[in-house]
Amino acid sequence: MRAIVATTELDDRRPGVTYRTAGDRAVLVEYGRPHPVDLALNFFVHATARHLQDHPVRGVLEAAPGLRSLLVYFEPSVIGRDTVIEAMDEIHREVPEPTSIVLPSRRVRLPIAFDDSTSREAVHRYRVSDRPDAPNVVDGNNIDYVVRCNDLPAREALYERILASEWWNAFSGFYPGLPSLLPLDPRSELSAPKYNPARNWTPEGAVAIGGPSLVIHPIESSGSYQLLGRTLPISYLSPRRPRAYRADPVLLHPADRITFYMIDETELVELRRQAFEGRYDYEIEPGRYTVADHFAVAEDPAVAAEAERRRERRRRAHDMVKIP
Amino acid sequence: MTPRTRTTVAEPFLEVIDPGLQTTVQDFPGRRGRQALGFFPSGPVDHLAFRAANLLVGNGSDAAGLEIPLGRFQAAIVRPGTIAVTGPEVPLTRNGRPLPMWESVPVEEGDVIASGVLSGPGYRTYLAVAGGIAVPEAYGSRATQLVAGIGGLDGRALERADVLDVHVTDGGARPRRRMPSSLRPTYRRHWEIEVVRGPHADPDYLTAEDVEYLFSATWRCDLNSDRVAVRLNQHRFAWARASGDVAGGHPSNMLDTSYPLGGVLAYGDVLTILGPDSNSSGGFAVVATVAHAALWKVGQFRPGMDTVTFREIDLAQAAALDEHLGRVLDSRHLATV
Repeated sequence: MRAIVATTELDDRRPGVTYRTAGDRAVLVEYGRPHPVDLALNFFVHATARHLQDHPVRGVLEAAPGLRSLLVYFEPSVIGRDTVIEAMDEIHREVPEPTSIVLPSRRVRLPIAFDDSTSREAVHRYRVSDRPDAPNVVDGNNIDYVVRCNDLPAREALYERILASEWWNAFSGFYPGLPSLLPLDPRSELSAPKYNPARNWTPEGAVAIGGPSLVIHPIESSGSYQLLGRTLPISYLSPRRPRAYRADPVLLHPADRITFYMIDETELVELRRQAFEGRYDYEIEPGRYTVADHFAVAEDPAVAAEAERRRERRRRAHDMVKIP
Repeated sequence: MTPRTRTTVAEPFLEVIDPGLQTTVQDFPGRRGRQALGFFPSGPVDHLAFRAANLLVGNGSDAAGLEIPLGRFQAAIVRPGTIAVTGPEVPLTRNGRPLPMWESVPVEEGDVIASGVLSGPGYRTYLAVAGGIAVPEAYGSRATQLVAGIGGLDGRALERADVLDVHVTDGGARPRRRMPSSLRPTYRRHWEIEVVRGPHADPDYLTAEDVEYLFSATWRCDLNSDRVAVRLNQHRFAWARASGDVAGGHPSNMLDTSYPLGGVLAYGDVLTILGPDSNSSGGFAVVATVAHAALWKVGQFRPGMDTVTFREIDLAQAAALDEHLGRVLDSRHLATV
């Protein structure tokens, strides 16, 4: 049996669709092509997931977004795989083309302390117990390595890139509540290789980068992204949870927008204490996101040219740095 | 087919004397419907033996029970009830006297139930209690997720002196039942496991020769295997592409995607079968996916000892396997003791 079941070309402004078998109870629906990393595909993923949620298909159990894909689980005694594909084809024709998509999307503002001592501790443990010669560890941290990977003049330029853009939660996954963030402003795009081998310990609240995505660790766990700093807890999975998490154990949802503001570590420690004691009010603004706003910025000739120039510098820098 | 467990009140049922290697509370099908938020389902790795145990004690399909790796477990019963233990053969005793497996047996206050380390093939046994283990639901399930520390008893494996509650039902005696040996699964040292090719196999990820190797090779199950994943021995595929480009160096790398339960992941050059506590997503190619009706076998691989071959099947064959599983788990086929 073939791994690729079907492909569908939608009209010219919607991405092409590839349907792949994912066992006898799921279909993996992939959109467009893998490169370049294209936020338009992710917007389409969320619009499709949303549409499926609002117009349920009998026998379709759940759908989980990836960066440019949707994993659709179904109950085979109720619906056949081919019928799932037909239903998805129909949904794709009903979902607006990417530039007309509007999605429910909250804005969440989080503090970040860059190069904090807990992240350094994780880097230190890695160097001691896993890989003393790791090229991504410079002076006890990963930040300088990320700076070089992106051909930035100094750490401050890296921090600035992160603080300058809203970050789009392209999907949640790996661990419960872990967001994978991409910048809505293409000038803030960054990238970095992953650890090799993976790191055994990552503190909760760590902010890290791997490939094109920025992540926040919801729990203490292993990890393979380069550590940049630390923020507040973003999940509260135990049954007794503070007010901000009463309705939901996971703070950041897919398609939320996150902005960071810089604070020092002393202040972060205090804010984290408030969060654990249930006294911290997370800055969450409900709302919707009009995807056209993204394209208005991203396709502005000056912005696009600057983003491309930075991409080119990054490509050259990657050829120079040592991959772990 | 099975009635939902009628719950009234939770009462203490057993106190753990020896928790064994990593005994956890699980339910089936676990924590579904939340993969978009990053939750993989958890639940028993062998859903066949787990569901059979619940069936034997007359529980509904939503009841929670225990998953006991390697068979080692010991507990004191503090309230009369009915239990059943399923899975590969282990020395099972009540107060030192042998007790049958795959059969519901009454237990009394003061009894000590003990099961010893399994020596033959297979790896996980399951213990069900009439009424079901009473732990709070966490996000729609009682299943323990050890990595995130949620579900089950405080999100962790059982420890000595833990007391587990049971849902006390209407009090009526449950008929004693046995699963006929003709319906019980056979445990082996070498497993053949039914998989469906893809999502990321040939022609764009693996070469035709790679796929041929995937389905003809005998794979060794690594000692470092658990509820998260079963790791298989390293093998260098040729790969149909030079690299993962933007997603990373190795050709198995791709832009992050949600993983299917039972996916056979190419983690670089190491194949891994995604268990119920696995990462819900990631950036590696899933070259094949275990058929739902064959997932139970993954729960019985003995780490560091067993071997496995993948047999490719299509959706019609997967449906036939489902149908067979349905017959095995049909309470009408149970014998009355």
